[in-house]
Amino acid sequence: MTDIQTDAEVKVRRFSHVRIFEHWLAAFTFTILVVTGISQRFFALDISQWLIFKLGGIDNVRLIHRYAAVVFVIAAASHIVIAAMGIVMKKWQPSMVINWNDFTDAVHDIRYYIGRENAPARCDRYTYKQKFEYWGILTGGLLMIATGFILWFPMTVVRVFPGELIPAAKALHSNEAMVIVLLIAVWHIYNSIFSPEVFPLDTSIFTGYISRERMAREHPIELRRMESGGSEETLTARSEDIRKLRAEEIAPR
Amino acid sequence: MKNLIRAKAFWNMAGGGIHRPPVNIRLPSLRKIFFTVTILLLCACPVFVDPVGARDIVLSDEAGTCLGCHGKQGLVKRFQSGESVNAFVDAEKFKASVHSFLACSGCHSEFSTDNHPSRRFRSKKQYQIRASLECRRCHTDEQIKGNSIHAGLLKGDSKGKAAVCTECHSAHYVTPVTGGKVFAGEDQYCMSCHGYNFSMTFRNGESVRLVIDRSHLEGSVHSKLSCSDCHYGFSSEEHPRRTFRSRREYTIALSESCRRCHFDKYTKTLESIHYAMLSKGNLKAPACTDCHGAHSIARGDKERSLTARRCQGCHPAIYDIYAKSVHGKALFDEHNQDVPICVDCHKAHDIIHPHTLDYRERIPAMCSNCHANKAIMEKYGLSTEVVKTYLSDFHGITLGFYKKQRETMDKPARPIAVCTDCHGTHTISSTRGIDAALLKANLLKRCQQCHKDAPKNFPDTWLSHYEPTPARAPLVFAVNLIYKIFIPILVIGLFLQILLHIWRYAVDR
Repeated sequence: MTDIQTDAEVKVRRFSHVRIFEHWLAAFTFTILVVTGISQRFFALDISQWLIFKLGGIDNVRLIHRYAAVVFVIAAASHIVIAAMGIVMKKWQPSMVINWNDFTDAVHDIRYYIGRENAPARCDRYTYKQKFEYWGILTGGLLMIATGFILWFPMTVVRVFPGELIPAAKALHSNEAMVIVLLIAVWHIYNSIFSPEVFPLDTSIFTGYISRERMAREHPIELRRMESGGSEETLTARSEDIRKLRAEEIAPR
Repeated sequence: MKNLIRAKAFWNMAGGGIHRPPVNIRLPSLRKIFFTVTILLLCACPVFVDPVGARDIVLSDEAGTCLGCHGKQGLVKRFQSGESVNAFVDAEKFKASVHSFLACSGCHSEFSTDNHPSRRFRSKKQYQIRASLECRRCHTDEQIKGNSIHAGLLKGDSKGKAAVCTECHSAHYVTPVTGGKVFAGEDQYCMSCHGYNFSMTFRNGESVRLVIDRSHLEGSVHSKLSCSDCHYGFSSEEHPRRTFRSRREYTIALSESCRRCHFDKYTKTLESIHYAMLSKGNLKAPACTDCHGAHSIARGDKERSLTARRCQGCHPAIYDIYAKSVHGKALFDEHNQDVPICVDCHKAHDIIHPHTLDYRERIPAMCSNCHANKAIMEKYGLSTEVVKTYLSDFHGITLGFYKKQRETMDKPARPIAVCTDCHGTHTISSTRGIDAALLKANLLKRCQQCHKDAPKNFPDTWLSHYEPTPARAPLVFAVNLIYKIFIPILVIGLFLQILLHIWRYAVDR
């Protein structure tokens, strides 16, 4: 037989091409929206003014913000539709849905951090941290879309709703933007770049693969399910090999 | 003995022996009287002694005879035109004139003590022209030509416009022009003619009175200047003769003198709409003296309502509208000096066209001069937040960027709503005590000027300069409050989790 690879070298398929593309799209539109949005919110800062002038003036910045928003709306809508249809029609695992385990996992991890537990919580495909971030971004994104629409078409909106909705939407839009930016800048960037577990960069969303070692540490339940012949969708040829290897490894003893 | 001396010394030390020095009161009194008398005598001297150089003017015998009749009031010479001239001669004034040594017939050559011809003249003018010829018998053309004023008049002479000497020099009371009388200052010299009522005629027939009212001069800010400081080229030696087509051209030309001192103001006017009009040939455009006056220039900051009235002359309709506005009423009815007058917004010298983007973009800054000033606004119970709330909202932000973009990138901009678009320009009225529904209806009309199909409750989308409070905008207030609490909790929670994670990781290793 060939040399046995270590767990760190063995790669497990984690994300499909669709998910990789979705992340790129979200990252791209998000960056544009943040740059053009934050510079409008903090318009008095020198850097904002510099940026706005570089982008060709306030009208351009507003236009770019709206174009990017359209792309973001399409991305968000297709994501929701595909996820809903996948779960309903193709019987996908609703792996992102928050359940009771997530709360107990969170409590467990905090107990672990302060030394009351010996090992971190054993998580499934997505940890409670990732779910928190996902739902934070998704609900925040939907809120941004709704308020953004109100601000884009105030005239249409006030035909039906009271006028105060416009300044309220403005307050909501800029405040929620801050929440999302903080969530990404602090939580996401830490977990995918600066966390000692993944430093210098968690590449799984770009390559689609994750090491078996990290899989075992971070998503042991999913790994076990995969290796015990769980969902066909998540299994890859590579992990089939691993399972065989493992089986062979164990069998002679 | 020794004891006695000691005792006496002790007695003296104790002050018992009062020792008076000898006093003679009468001696200085005598001296005083002597000096006083001497001084009084010296003072009285001039009364008795004829001062050196003083001479009694004795009139000629002929003059004495003539004054026998002409020295009395009531003699009148009538002309065919119906005009008349007073034939009275004030003997004392005549004595003071330069011609006091002349006999009457020296000028009135046809008359003598024996001969008093009766002459007929068509008009006073004809008589004066005739009389002036007498002057020219002694004061030859060659002699008087040296003075440029005369040179000009002589030119007119040859064209049939006869000069009348007495118009300026008067008849019997001719005062010396040079030599005899010494003028204390240049203005005194000028006033020796310009104190009299005469006028200058322009080529188009208009005329201007050249008499200067001394009291105006003395009350003006230029009271310490001399005439030639403004009327340069003129002096006791020189009096160039200038011809202007019209009175207006004369005014505009004379306003040029102001820039010799007020160059900063002059350069500002070069950017003004008034100067642009003038340079296009519109002579109605105001020059310096139209607003500031000429000889009666006063300080600009004295009474603000007077300054506002300067503009009224040409802009009466706008002035009337302004006078009815909240600012105008306060100015004219209450003499309030805080309110803006025309020049506060339009400026005094660099007045630009108010329909330009440049001007429009300056409006919030103009209003904030007062409306962002706590000291002024507190007096009237007005909020200073109005400017801030405008500038931090959509219109204010856009305006700010458009302004900078035009300045730095030369990018064309659209007009954006500024203070005056909702509050009015010259019509600005107080928003106090006006029914909220009416206010909203009026505001909607303003909104619709740009937002064509703005629905009825569109004005509600604007918080009317109010900060969001639970009473004014509960929804906005609630949203802001929730995030004000939520964001810090989120950030602290996330950072705590990160720090705990790193700590545990470090411990495990």
